[in-house]
Amino acid sequence: MHEMAIARNIVNIAVAAAEKEGARKITRVNVVAGELRGIVQAQLVFSFGLMAENTIASGAYLDLETTLVMGKCKKCGETFVVKDYRYVCPKCQSDDIQALSGTELRVKDIEVE
Amino acid sequence: MKINVMTDILEANDRIATANSGVFNKQRNLVLNLMSSPGAGKTSLLEKTGEALKGNLRLGVIAGDIETSRDAERLEKHNLPVVQLTTGSACHLDANMIASALPHIDLKKIDILVIENVGNLVCPAEFKLGEHYKIMILSVTEGDEKPLKYPLMFRESSLLLINKIDLLKYTNFNLKEAKANARRVHPDLDIIDISCATGEGISDWISWLNQHYQKKFGTKTRA
Repeated sequence: MHEMAIARNIVNIAVAAAEKEGARKITRVNVVAGELRGIVQAQLVFSFGLMAENTIASGAYLDLETTLVMGKCKKCGETFVVKDYRYVCPKCQSDDIQALSGTELRVKDIEVE
Repeated sequence: MKINVMTDILEANDRIATANSGVFNKQRNLVLNLMSSPGAGKTSLLEKTGEALKGNLRLGVIAGDIETSRDAERLEKHNLPVVQLTTGSACHLDANMIASALPHIDLKKIDILVIENVGNLVCPAEFKLGEHYKIMILSVTEGDEKPLKYPLMFRESSLLLINKIDLLKYTNFNLKEAKANARRVHPDLDIIDISCATGEGISDWISWLNQHYQKKFGTKTRA
């Protein structure tokens, strides 16, 4: 249930950003999460709804965009999608892989009135 | 109207973790965030470690437990400095809980501080506490496929201790398969086989601790 802690932070970040711009109501929050974060969308949406109650984010739509795990081979430079957590270059089979994405977790933008 | 935000969701936590890390570096504490599922042997490992380190590096523990203080009581019997954090219903420790525990532990009397996280293979991997290394225990009674089910924790950890290897013969746990699965998720992962019951492998774990302490702070100079 780390979704609850994450949802609380999302509400805090969204409300702070909205208030800074003088907005009165948040209608949508767009979140980006890497696949490795293992966020359960239904749980995050549910937790967000609870945490947003009695704030200007109450009733806002939460969109979760999941980003793929990407790796770059340090030997041959190939960039590829890491499937099933196999950090092996599909071109040269090296396992010396730089992780490019998959662990991000941020509020991208919000829509306000 | 659209407002660009681009803020890391765990930024508030990470900021406190960075502050914790500053305190630890100043006090020359090597800090390890110890994670595993419940019952994998975190407290047993710390009991063994306290004994094995005697006269060398000094161990201290921050123990996270949902309801009880049983882990802390077990460790206090070994004369280890322990702070108990009762997390209530929380499934993980966060940087702020660690910050609040720091005034209750004398860091000057500690070389290695182990933060015993809440038993859980998911949530603890998400939250930085200010540690130098995340380490984890997988016990053979849990199954060799766990790295593929809980990849983030295996990916984030620097060291995997495979515990209860004295029970291998009673289970269908395939040690080779477990290591292959763990290295598939994290090719650079250090792995040490141990048994807290028989003491097998504990000396390798102690060497790992010594090496990493020296790597961070050089030879121990404190009296």
